[in-house]
Amino acid sequence: MSGMGEQLGLSQTSGEGRTQLFKDLFAGIKPQRVPLTNSSSVEFSIAHAGLNIAEVLWDLPKLEYVLDKACRDFISDTVPIGGIRIPSYYQILGSRPIVMSSSGFMQHPEVVGLLAEEYDEFISSPYNCIVEKIIPRLYTALDTEPDKKALTLAKAMKAYCDDYAVLGDIRAKLIEKYGLASLSSVTSEAPFDFVADFLRGFKGIIGDLRRYPGKVAAACEAILPYLIKKGSSPDINNPGFVFLPLHMAPYLRPNDFEKFYWPTFKALVEAFVEAGKTVNLFVESDWMRYLPYLYELPENTVMRFEFGEPGVVKKELGERHILSGFYPATLLQTGSKQQCLDQAKELLEILAPGGRYWFQLDKQILPCNNTEKVANNLQAVLQYVYDNGKY
Amino acid sequence: MIDLSLLAKAVGDLDEDKMLELLTEFVASNPTEDEAQTVVGACQKGMEVVGDLFECGEYFVGDLIFAGELMTQSMDILKPVIGSGGEAKAGKIVLATVEGDLHDIGKNIFRSMAEAAGFEIHDLGIDQKPEAFIQKIKEVQPEIVGMSGVLTLALESMKKTVEKLQEAGLRDTVKIIIGGNPVTVEACKYIGADAFTTSAAEGVKICQAWVNN
Repeated sequence: MSGMGEQLGLSQTSGEGRTQLFKDLFAGIKPQRVPLTNSSSVEFSIAHAGLNIAEVLWDLPKLEYVLDKACRDFISDTVPIGGIRIPSYYQILGSRPIVMSSSGFMQHPEVVGLLAEEYDEFISSPYNCIVEKIIPRLYTALDTEPDKKALTLAKAMKAYCDDYAVLGDIRAKLIEKYGLASLSSVTSEAPFDFVADFLRGFKGIIGDLRRYPGKVAAACEAILPYLIKKGSSPDINNPGFVFLPLHMAPYLRPNDFEKFYWPTFKALVEAFVEAGKTVNLFVESDWMRYLPYLYELPENTVMRFEFGEPGVVKKELGERHILSGFYPATLLQTGSKQQCLDQAKELLEILAPGGRYWFQLDKQILPCNNTEKVANNLQAVLQYVYDNGKY
Repeated sequence: MIDLSLLAKAVGDLDEDKMLELLTEFVASNPTEDEAQTVVGACQKGMEVVGDLFECGEYFVGDLIFAGELMTQSMDILKPVIGSGGEAKAGKIVLATVEGDLHDIGKNIFRSMAEAAGFEIHDLGIDQKPEAFIQKIKEVQPEIVGMSGVLTLALESMKKTVEKLQEAGLRDTVKIIIGGNPVTVEACKYIGADAFTTSAAEGVKICQAWVNN
């Protein structure tokens, strides 16, 4: 079956044509060519534009120049915004889970929002526990009297709305100017990952699995409806997706994965698909031992793999799901141009046949000291995929 | 006297309750410092088993983290009876997550496994500039420097740190191992490290081979 774009005679470099590539892709229809995304982080694009990361993140209108340059310099079907973390509201909230490092790059360090002895409280009323215990612990500026708390929250929401309005405006301009696909997205998390990332920490949950396994499972069940709700609002357009950055599974024993991670993760994905949404997974680290589980997810789930064997994944999942990733972002830093192109060629040959493939790197490109080399390699790779990813 | 093989097995099996029970009983028996050292040795043996089971794919990263927690607990319990002398250290390692990166789980796994193997670890923490490495290296004169990172930007910081060590005339006084999600053989060459690993257990073996040569 050929893509709708071809039938409609849409240009592959118009916004409409590019949007159609993703409509086809997410519907499991072979698009006119392999859709491709410039996987630069906003921070890398800032460095590429020769500006200071912290300065631009604190003064978002400057991003227009940055992203305009990124769109001019690198072929991409989408706006290279990715998973931006804006410091303004995190700082106002006194955030511990998301903080800026010395390089200006926002990161998620290990935090504990819920103490082990508070599991029962969380399980019986997740919402109350989040509002009363967890939020003040993780967002320290909210750990104060109610009147100050209200002011801080109002300030943070204002900063959030202002910054996202700026971002939305820049995005819309670039989509128009460069004829890019308009993809909307909303982020949620697998319940086990949420419990690990924001409640108990990586180390905490690993101990909990042995000490109070029943409570871990119950906490995942308790938070599931909230994570479904988080991924459901605001509503997303077609094409759009619910993004789930998967985290903990590769670090667990297969038995623990099956008992604690999989049931609520599967239920979450199914709930989104039942509501007519596309689910886009970032499959962190190596999931090779879980491929039969991934197969079971609803048809046309998008899976961006970090590590693993592309050939095996294509064979096992390629007729049911939409594959992406595998291209090592670090190769752009360490490899020659020829090595970078060879890698792109190899992945195209393995993953593109038959469709259901979206070219993205295995993860975002982060800022580094040799921006120019990475930029040159990235340019060459994206051009190669654009020229050779035709069906 | 405590059953050493049972203790080593409890650690290797990650059986927290059994391990705590054995150690608490042992400490209550008012042991000598020498006896306490043999018990530390049994815990270390258990950790070696954990490392081996990880390398053969039976244990996963989560198991290493839990094993590290068990080692910390066991040392806390044994502290009052170990005494101040202790056995000779296997070697010294200056360790940190490099500049720009705030992740420390991998570093901490390596630290607990290296400590279990008898290394004296000087852990600088996260987001550490080359200057912090240099200062610590001058101060403690380690055989080994361990640099950790999760983000790809850590590769550049590792490279910069190696260059700064070179400038300070310290590069050839130490072996350098890099660890973490983005390290590869290419990255290792690019950075100018002596070894790389994505497995803490393997990393400890590399360090052991260096100090035993």
